[in-house]
Amino acid sequence: MKNNKKLFISIEAIMAVMVIAMAFIMLKENSKKDLHKISVIVPNSNDNQWTAFKYGLKMAAEDQDTEIFFVSTGNISSAEEETNIIKREIENGTDALIIKPVPDNKIENILKKIENKIPVMLIGTTASKNKPESMLPVTEPDNYLMGKSLAEELLKDYNGNITGKTLGIITETSVQEDIINRINGFQDVLKDKDAKISWTISGSFKEPEENTLDKQPKVDIVIALDDQSLVTASGYSAANNLHGALVYGIGHSTEAIYYLDTGIIRCLVVPDEFSTGYKSLTETAESLKYYFRKMKDITVSYTIIRRDELFSQKNQEIIFTMSQ
Amino acid sequence: MKSKLLQHIKKFKPTGMQSTIMVAFSAISVSIMLVLGIVVYLRFSASSRQEIIQSTQKLMEQTVENLEDYLVSMRQISDAVYYNVIKECDLSNKEDNIQQGMNLLYEANRDNLRSIAIYNNYGSLMAAEPVALQKEDPDVTKQDWYKKAMEKMENMHFSTPHIQNLFDDTSLRYYWVISLSRVVELTNNGVPITGVLLVDMDYSSISRMMKQINTSNNGQYYYLCDKNGQIIYHMRQIQISKGISSENSIKAASYKDGVYDETFDGEQRKLIVSTISYTGWKLVGVIPYSTFTHGMFNTRYFIIMIILLMAMMLAVINRVVSVRISSPILKLSDSVMEYEAGEKPEIYIGGSIEIRHLGYSIQQSYEQIDMLMQKIIMEQNERRKSELDALQSQINPHFLYNALDSITWMIEGERNDDAVFMISELARLFRISLSKGRTIISVKDELQHAQSYMNIQKIRYKNSFSIKFDIETEIYSYCTVKLVLQPILENAVNYGINDMYECGEITVSGKKNDENIILAVSDNGTGIPEEEVLLLLTDSNRVHKHGSGVGLVNVNNRIQILFGKQYGLTIESEPDEGTTVSICIPAIPYTEENSKILEKGNIFINE
Repeated sequence: MKNNKKLFISIEAIMAVMVIAMAFIMLKENSKKDLHKISVIVPNSNDNQWTAFKYGLKMAAEDQDTEIFFVSTGNISSAEEETNIIKREIENGTDALIIKPVPDNKIENILKKIENKIPVMLIGTTASKNKPESMLPVTEPDNYLMGKSLAEELLKDYNGNITGKTLGIITETSVQEDIINRINGFQDVLKDKDAKISWTISGSFKEPEENTLDKQPKVDIVIALDDQSLVTASGYSAANNLHGALVYGIGHSTEAIYYLDTGIIRCLVVPDEFSTGYKSLTETAESLKYYFRKMKDITVSYTIIRRDELFSQKNQEIIFTMSQ
Repeated sequence: MKSKLLQHIKKFKPTGMQSTIMVAFSAISVSIMLVLGIVVYLRFSASSRQEIIQSTQKLMEQTVENLEDYLVSMRQISDAVYYNVIKECDLSNKEDNIQQGMNLLYEANRDNLRSIAIYNNYGSLMAAEPVALQKEDPDVTKQDWYKKAMEKMENMHFSTPHIQNLFDDTSLRYYWVISLSRVVELTNNGVPITGVLLVDMDYSSISRMMKQINTSNNGQYYYLCDKNGQIIYHMRQIQISKGISSENSIKAASYKDGVYDETFDGEQRKLIVSTISYTGWKLVGVIPYSTFTHGMFNTRYFIIMIILLMAMMLAVINRVVSVRISSPILKLSDSVMEYEAGEKPEIYIGGSIEIRHLGYSIQQSYEQIDMLMQKIIMEQNERRKSELDALQSQINPHFLYNALDSITWMIEGERNDDAVFMISELARLFRISLSKGRTIISVKDELQHAQSYMNIQKIRYKNSFSIKFDIETEIYSYCTVKLVLQPILENAVNYGINDMYECGEITVSGKKNDENIILAVSDNGTGIPEEEVLLLLTDSNRVHKHGSGVGLVNVNNRIQILFGKQYGLTIESEPDEGTTVSICIPAIPYTEENSKILEKGNIFINE
């Protein structure tokens, strides 16, 4: 009799616990899920070069059920400036950061400290100049291979013989891993060739006091190894200020496509910015979902586009991502 | 392992009545609730599924209508350009009119239009609106829309979305368009030539329509593909082309309008297909099965919660009911058990009518058992006493003294033959009295015993009475209790004829009457008053004036103990006429077996 009573009370207690658990689950289901917030910090955020990247982020955010904040920025020139933006985002309650590091030696250590609190994913370039030494995960194309491919395309146009041709290399910066690797890749292909690199300059070329391209010695070919430089160089070429030099480059904006379409750029290497955005955000969102998951480096592809095949089905999709 | 499990189950096997009721009730209620819960859930989920499908169909119908309206308006623009502008004008002379007409139509529909252009059969641009710089050698003849228009001249052709590669508007932008192309007849200097009219629709109009319906975040989505399954709009268009995601559009394009089930990429889903007229495009609504369950989670939890609450409530009710049913029975059982243990409490009477009745019955039966037990004990005591009395009668010292005294006088008077007769009769008397300690003897022996006794008495009373035996010989071989006649004869001698002189007559008769043996002793003595007759068989404490002290009551008791209440003595007496005492016993043949049964003494009690 006593045992019966005990059994009865325990059964009732178990069922009561289950009812409470069910009610709790229901309440939890009903309360709106807090989406993870991920802030994306890139310089000149409104630039066309980020369109495909943004589209990739947006698509991944939809797939991963995540909220993204694309921080509106201008030209971020120093680590301090970038740190301030990051701090502001952290104060605003961001859960993770996707960031293009500024070309500044101090930024890696700062980001490393931040990474101890929230996940940080770099895009486009590592914060250290040497990729193997990088302490933070990065989503970027194989920059060395891109540089190499561009050089090979250049050689194809000259049937492998560019003896006596003069080259000018233009980059946005010379102190960042992506550009360094692109230059290395490019130069490694050409080192046995008898082509002369007359000049290698870095800068935005937007300020009047900066060395403008038309003041550089005349070269046969101008190689622009990033989107901004390519658009700048193409702009000069379109305005006939490049002394008739042919433009080859790496870019991912509609402007770059336009200059390729209009014949100003001879060959364009396009990194897959959509994938950079999509994959970096997916990886970051996954790391937020699974606490012990460590983010890995991601390598995205790139495409070599020439004018005659610009509107092929595959390339149209690339342009589609840039035109969103 | 299995036997261990069985042992465990056996351990939990309910043993008590309350547990059995409780477990049975609970099992039934849980099963009913589970079945009910599942049925309700299935019904609810089926109707909700139906509802989702219906609402999706409605939304798709609306969207198809919107898309068709849009496409119709594009076709109308194309028709208007062709019939109202191109057909009316000559390219050479009235180009401005063409431009003006096209401009009017373009301006009226600029929200949905990217451009209107007319090309001749060599692919040269004849007119375009808005006026823009044509790209260097776009070679329209190699473009899909041109080729398709030229392939089937009588038709209008809708292309899949593509980048418009015709004009350089210096905005450094690329536009995504759907081209509506048709072959038209142009007039150039009065000479009809074929050309192609191109109306480029802004893809964003279609994508906007599609985005409007693709707002659900429960996994449900819609996409648009052409009749070959080539995707026109899809939320994950780029992911699909990059292989990150995939879509079963080729198969979907082969479906006719309707609702289909399919498994794609390991996911079960419902497909709703609607065809957009004229273009053959398919609007496909995809509802993964997870969408159905997504909305049902709360319902599922709610139903489980209700079931649990009901189970809790039913457990309480079951317990109350089982306690109420079993409690009186348990109390009754406890009181019976205590009774059996010898504590003799009151039998519990309570609960429902049936259990009360049971209690009463048990109580009554126990009372009856008690009574019977007491009766049996009493009877046993009686029997023992009777047997003792009988034993005493066997060695009645007074009788023995008288007999021996008579023998002494006979010997002294040298009546040796009489003495011998007397001694041999006495010996016979004692032999039968003893009968090896048996209680049951044959009627013959009993009569022999009576005869010996009467012979002795006759000598003692100097033949003052006569004795007559009138016995049917057939009754000799039946059973009787021993020494039943002797006390009666003793009474007859002592009370009946003692005071009479020379004319006393005692008759011992024996006969079989149906299934009974009747032995009767009749005398012609003074008789017994009526009130005394009644006392003879009931009052065992009467003081015996004479005789062995073994009264008729004793005889009666012994007969009844052995054969039953229906047997025994009957006394009929008439004052001054005489008395007849009849012994009625059952006619049981005297065999060894019957004798043993009767010796045990309980067979007739039970009967």
